[in-house]
Amino acid sequence: MTRFGDHLATGVLILLLLAAWEVAGQLKLVADGTLPPLSAILLRLAAEWREYWPHVAATLYTASLGFLIGNAVALAAAVSFCLWPVAERIFRGVNIAAFTVPPIAIAPVLVIALDGETARITLAALLVYFPTMTAAMAGLRSADPRAVDLIRAYGGGPLRTLWLLRLRAALPAILSGFQVAAPAAVLGAVLAEFGSGARWGLGTFLLGSLGRAEPDRLWGIGLTATAIAGLGYALSATLAARTTSLNRAVNIGVTGPEPETANEAPLRRALLLAAAILMPLLIWQGMLFWADLSPIIAKTPMGVIDYLITGKTAASAQTRLLAALAETVPITIAGMLLGLGFAFALALLSFAAPLLMRALLPFALVTQTMPLVALTPLAVLIFGRGITVTLVITISVTFFAAFVVLAQGFAMIPKAAFDLVDAYGASTLRKLRLIAIPASRQWLFVAARLALPKALLGVMIAEWLATGKGLGNLLNQSRGYLDYGMIWTVAVVSILLSVLLYQLTPVLEWVGRSDRRDK
Amino acid sequence: MQGLPLQFTNVSKAFSIKGKALPVIDNLSLDCPAGSFTALLGPSGCGKSTLLRLALALENEDSGSLRIGGDSPRSICRSGAVGVAFQDAALLPWRSVEDNIRLPFEVLGRKRPDPEKINGLIELVGLKGFEKARPGELSGGMRQRVAIARALATEPRVLLMDEPFGALDLILRRQMNLELQRIWSAKRPTTLLITHGIDEAVYLADRVIVLSPRPARVLADIPVSFSRPRGAELLRDPAFHHVCDRIAALLDPETSAASAAAEAATLDAAPVDAPAKAGTIA
Repeated sequence: MTRFGDHLATGVLILLLLAAWEVAGQLKLVADGTLPPLSAILLRLAAEWREYWPHVAATLYTASLGFLIGNAVALAAAVSFCLWPVAERIFRGVNIAAFTVPPIAIAPVLVIALDGETARITLAALLVYFPTMTAAMAGLRSADPRAVDLIRAYGGGPLRTLWLLRLRAALPAILSGFQVAAPAAVLGAVLAEFGSGARWGLGTFLLGSLGRAEPDRLWGIGLTATAIAGLGYALSATLAARTTSLNRAVNIGVTGPEPETANEAPLRRALLLAAAILMPLLIWQGMLFWADLSPIIAKTPMGVIDYLITGKTAASAQTRLLAALAETVPITIAGMLLGLGFAFALALLSFAAPLLMRALLPFALVTQTMPLVALTPLAVLIFGRGITVTLVITISVTFFAAFVVLAQGFAMIPKAAFDLVDAYGASTLRKLRLIAIPASRQWLFVAARLALPKALLGVMIAEWLATGKGLGNLLNQSRGYLDYGMIWTVAVVSILLSVLLYQLTPVLEWVGRSDRRDK
Repeated sequence: MQGLPLQFTNVSKAFSIKGKALPVIDNLSLDCPAGSFTALLGPSGCGKSTLLRLALALENEDSGSLRIGGDSPRSICRSGAVGVAFQDAALLPWRSVEDNIRLPFEVLGRKRPDPEKINGLIELVGLKGFEKARPGELSGGMRQRVAIARALATEPRVLLMDEPFGALDLILRRQMNLELQRIWSAKRPTTLLITHGIDEAVYLADRVIVLSPRPARVLADIPVSFSRPRGAELLRDPAFHHVCDRIAALLDPETSAASAAAEAATLDAAPVDAPAKAGTIA
């Protein structure tokens, strides 16, 4: 089929799916009308536009400032890490924490430590930081090593290499980082509005509309947030496409080796590891010192230890925390596995039926750019308040990143590998079994790494908004009771839990590898 | 501007691969007088490129010393006296042909070169009309010619080339060899050329150094004294082929041990038996 024919077929399929939505809505087929027809949502949105406007403006303001600040910090960090690799090792703990932190857990803490507006912008910036930083790092390191040699041969140092080569070479990667960062900024802004008592913002608007059980209003807010996120995504994607074509022209895809650490002295390695662990604590302590807050409200690392372990609150705090963890941890792992499974199934589908996949992709994208908090009330309307809703939300936050990684993994299998089995007349299914599935194994671990921390976020949001159990609920209750010790404790514990889950994947990967060697 | 002498004295270099030391260059000495043209031949992976990287201060020698015009490679490279062309053109894809040739000036922090000069270089390598083209729009051979122009842009006193014509087809390679000879004769930079092409080495160089398999040592040092300028006819001369055949024998692992010994014995007495005849060709 021609390219144009492909596009046409995809377009027709998308229109068919939209029509199916409209029909299902009109006939109240989904959960007694909780999925309103698309036309009703759009009509209501148009009618209430005046009411929307100040909220949209507030969210746009927070998200854009967060986007700018987060990206500036991320680029400065990436350049510093590139120039001084030791800095990257020292800040590794901070970076992992920034990636794994469940924004819902950190939002109340930021609201305590900073004033409302600063807290909202900080959360948006925090969610922007990691995707841009990693993309920029990868881009800066991907510079053609032969061109690096050339500049060094004329006596150019690291700064000149950065200026003449690396920054420009990294541009497409940085812009693709922006594509991920733009929806993240909107999610951060909405989540922060949710917990900060802001007067305006889509998060506030959503919170106010939650009790009214009007699905078309909730969908309207969700779609508006999606549109803002999608706009940022589209802008970055357009810019990225422009620079990429220029960069790819003669690149042969050679990347420099990772910095060597194998021959490092054990003492130096231990010191760097200790620094990486201490650094987040130092930043935490430093921020509170700078904000100059009462120790009752703002807990330092020692304050949390006192609250949870040594102080007189310890026994009660431990009981409540352990009960919440017993609820949250198993469901997080279950949701993560289901999310990965779903992603794997979708990746297989995209391999076997690429056309259908291209039509479904825009809808999958909506679940990503549609801020979770907007999705949750809708999920509650459809699935009720039981364990199902938690799992559904967890799957919806984890599957997309994992799917993208897996689909990319399938796409990177060399064509020659298929040509061979094709030559023997293998069917699509057989090709999957013989080539695609075994080859995707290493990508599964990468996908798991991305999915794990997001799973905890999904579970906590569902617990906060829907089921009233576990860690998310404990956080919400503690806000109600002004139990500051518990707010900080939950924030710290959820970060530690995420980091733990994140560090679990390399172990699994290692087990997988040694197993393969035995064969 | 005159070429600068290039001296390797007892240079050794080892890489560590998974904790094990892998000697690449073993106590190698090589003296390239000012304005000479030396070609380096050797089996692939023998350490030729490492030798060049040492001269560019991209690697540091473990022992021995390396001097260019009596100075360290690093300070000489920073002064802009060294021009370099790698096996791969290593052009920046977002820059036009002109801007790529101008790159060394920006790295060295010099003022923008005269546009006339850049145009002259582009014309020299036969790319007139492609000044504004991007590397992606050029063929492999054209890109390689841009790299040669870039190597010449700073008017180097030392020219280091690592298989600069490796990616070109035979016809283009011959053309580029002629050009290189002309450019070299005009400015006389001290030139070190790494190549796999025996005929290319013999055609261009004053002497051909044959290196042993890794770790690299000098196996034979063969003077080539055909008179210059060397025309295309030289390639058809039996004396030319005689020299090529001898070098080929040295590079063939089956015959190299025996012929290296014989070579060492005959070289001192009578350098090459061809020059008298070659003189009449040119």
